[in-house]
Amino acid sequence: MNEHRRDLTQEERASVERQIQDPAQPLAQRAALRLKLFLEHEQIVKHPGERIYAWRTIRSFPDIYAPGEREKLTAGRYVHEQGRVCNISSNWEGVLNGGLLPRREKTTPEGRTAIDAVIAYADRYEDEALSRAIRCGAKGYLEALNMFRILHFALWASNVYHNTVGRFDQYMEPFLKADREKGLTYDEALSLTEEFFLSFNRDSDLYIGMQQGDNGQSLMLGGCDRDGKSAVNPLTEICLKASLHNRRIDPKINLRVDKNTPLELYELGTQLTRQGLGFPQYANDDVIIPALVDMGYALEDARNYVVAACWEFIIPGVAMDIPNIGAVSLAGVVAGVIRDELASCKAYEELEAKVRGAIAADAENTCHGLAPLFLEPAPYQTVLMSDVTHDVSEGAKYNNYGFHGTGFATAVDQLAAVKRYVFDERTVTPQTLKEALDSDFEQNPGLGRMLREDAPKLGRDEECVPIADRLLENFADALSPLRNERGGRVRPGTGSAMYYLWHSKNLGATADGRRAGEPLSANFSPSLTLRDAGPLSVISAMARPGLKRVMNGGPLTLELHDTVFKHPEGVTKVAQLVKAYIAMGGHQLQLNAVSREQMLDAQQHPDAHRNLIVRVWGWSGHFVQLDKGYQDQIIQRVSYNA
Amino acid sequence: MTKGIVFDIEEFAVYDGPGIRSVIFLKGCPLRCAWCHNPEGFIKAPQRLKSRDLCVQCGACIAACPLGCGWEAGEKCVACGECVKACPRGALRIAGREMTSGEAAARILKNAQALKLSGGGVTFSGGEALMQPDFVVETRGLLSGLHAAIETSGYADAAVFERVVKAMDLVMMDVKLADGAAHKTWTGADNRLILQNLARLIEMGIPFRARVPLIPGVNDTRENLTATARLLEGAKALERVELLGYNRAAGAKYGQLGLTYAPGFPEDQAPNRYTEPFIERGMEVVTL
Repeated sequence: MNEHRRDLTQEERASVERQIQDPAQPLAQRAALRLKLFLEHEQIVKHPGERIYAWRTIRSFPDIYAPGEREKLTAGRYVHEQGRVCNISSNWEGVLNGGLLPRREKTTPEGRTAIDAVIAYADRYEDEALSRAIRCGAKGYLEALNMFRILHFALWASNVYHNTVGRFDQYMEPFLKADREKGLTYDEALSLTEEFFLSFNRDSDLYIGMQQGDNGQSLMLGGCDRDGKSAVNPLTEICLKASLHNRRIDPKINLRVDKNTPLELYELGTQLTRQGLGFPQYANDDVIIPALVDMGYALEDARNYVVAACWEFIIPGVAMDIPNIGAVSLAGVVAGVIRDELASCKAYEELEAKVRGAIAADAENTCHGLAPLFLEPAPYQTVLMSDVTHDVSEGAKYNNYGFHGTGFATAVDQLAAVKRYVFDERTVTPQTLKEALDSDFEQNPGLGRMLREDAPKLGRDEECVPIADRLLENFADALSPLRNERGGRVRPGTGSAMYYLWHSKNLGATADGRRAGEPLSANFSPSLTLRDAGPLSVISAMARPGLKRVMNGGPLTLELHDTVFKHPEGVTKVAQLVKAYIAMGGHQLQLNAVSREQMLDAQQHPDAHRNLIVRVWGWSGHFVQLDKGYQDQIIQRVSYNA
Repeated sequence: MTKGIVFDIEEFAVYDGPGIRSVIFLKGCPLRCAWCHNPEGFIKAPQRLKSRDLCVQCGACIAACPLGCGWEAGEKCVACGECVKACPRGALRIAGREMTSGEAAARILKNAQALKLSGGGVTFSGGEALMQPDFVVETRGLLSGLHAAIETSGYADAAVFERVVKAMDLVMMDVKLADGAAHKTWTGADNRLILQNLARLIEMGIPFRARVPLIPGVNDTRENLTATARLLEGAKALERVELLGYNRAAGAKYGQLGLTYAPGFPEDQAPNRYTEPFIERGMEVVTL
């Protein structure tokens, strides 16, 4: 696909390293020089007929640290992931409209170096419109797209990562509108958008996060404007259609909705879900905007929110939040309290009080461990922020952290089981439970089965709901007094990222009947042991008022078999399901059309897919309970549908 | 309160009426359609189902059985569920649970908000819901304010049929085969009652949808579909005709019940989807 890819020669590499790895020079200066050299080494590639520029031709470029230098710099400091600025959203609107030159006057000397390097790179395309745009701002749609492409390309080259796309339909619509008035047709606009979206996939093999595809190229559509009015515009629809036609994983589509969003927009979104790529992800303005305001964001900024790489809510241009810097294993904290302190609790309320204390202690401990933070300077990312006068790695208008709360449902289910059997019914003693848990239920399989199958589960049983509400409040209360070294707050969230696997591996058997090492559910989803509950029970159980405080982000995930989508009527009804979750006050939702791959995996590892529901015909069944022949048949059928 | 035997409640059904439907599947059916995909709906009594793939033959179920049943739950089995609790693999389940109309209604009402938001409601299905008319009517009565529909073969006494469909906002009635002899061959029963009830339904003017499960080589002929269209001609309250595709996974649950699925028609063959007989007569027809 990209025949121009190459590695630097040994000589080139040595020369670059000599220039940018001089410990006598400040890091910021070296970072800017690195970007300049990187872009100078990049070859300009233009294919015939191609309207969107830029292909990565250099596979990798040296870092700015001399051998051993980074270890010295980071000794005694907390390094988040790669130790670089990531997961923030640029002020695309400001840069696309004003160009880089006005920012040149205000920014740091290193920022100026970066600006000059990016302009020089753009000029090498010998496209007058682009050269003008990158200096003074874009006028039309194509030049704005190419300007974005160059700016974003350079962002990756500048060694920051998870470079989000932000509110694309908002900042691009004026350019599109100008061109539409000059005669650009709808179909041309769509085709241009498709080509532009495809460009996100050109180099994505080089942009690896925790997993291939985890590259943060997320964009946010819809939502409201500065005055709170619906901001859905013609480009919103064009973007959804372009993504539908492209069927590629980048850019990842997010859609802001609220109680007034018309069903048609959900239907367009559902068409996309049907493709099985796992997006769009929906975010509910009615929950998130007030939540951001309560967390201290200005209303105007809150109304402009986007998502970071995955689901964390951040503000373009003004936030240097690190929304995924830590996590509290809610499931683990609850398990620890049950294991160590259940016997000493006379009433259930005492147990919850101990959980509250343990979450607070865990969070405080994690928060202390995060200072002092090490972050590589990011002069070019600085240029793309709203305030460009000091390096963004040192902070911005908002400097909040976010902690995921992992295993939420498993935490609730453990508490609910203990409440029912140990305190309310008094049919299980703390000692019996402890022995069963310690032996991973080997000593007491009957109790294990009862806890797993009969005990109350969040998503099915009402008695879990008040426990869930209190756990959300406790989590929010625990984080509320914490301040990071930048004076920012710590936002509690419902995401899990990769933590749900990390946190589950070392977690022994839990009081909800989950066996040692069994995975926790991802994000804000019911536990994997949930049975006999459909999507309606799940959405109403998970739409909790406490999400206005536990607001860092993290979606409820629903998996629907793709036959649900086969007829347009099914698409409409899935759209209605999403609309219902939003109307009930759910914060964020992601749907999966169940894929053939998942079913193949379910055949190999049935226990990992106990909840996989397939619609076989007029009925739905648990996939793993079907005889193999029928499983094979359904797998075959899905491959026809795909 | 009247009790019913329910073998499943599906919360999120998308092809069983308008909007999002929660479907109550009632156990017991007077017909034995060769293509039936819900064989646990045949008899009214609760039954045990076993997944052969999950079973590792550990014997825990046999040890737990108070009646001394063996590997396959035979005639002695009363579906008490002791084996289900004992099974460490979760390979067993009981289809058929006795519940009161109040319990069934509560289960549906739990999600009333989502159902209403989507313009959906409850659908009574089976088996054959008309075999438990008191339960259906009583449950429906407890769900006032919610749209209610029934999926039925129409095989019941006239009085029962009338009483139940009157309680519904929408009737989805199968017209499987227009020819009586063929109907008897493929469903085990004559269609005289069904056709009388269809005429009655048309007369009553309750909104309804006619449904034809298209079975290859059985009823997917132009003759049968034309005859079906004639039966529906002029029905003012007919919303639309729904042609349901046959799915080869229909036999999936027979093995779990210790039954053999022997459809006796070419199930690999795609059925004909003649829509013209309906369209020509001014009816809306959808293939689901």
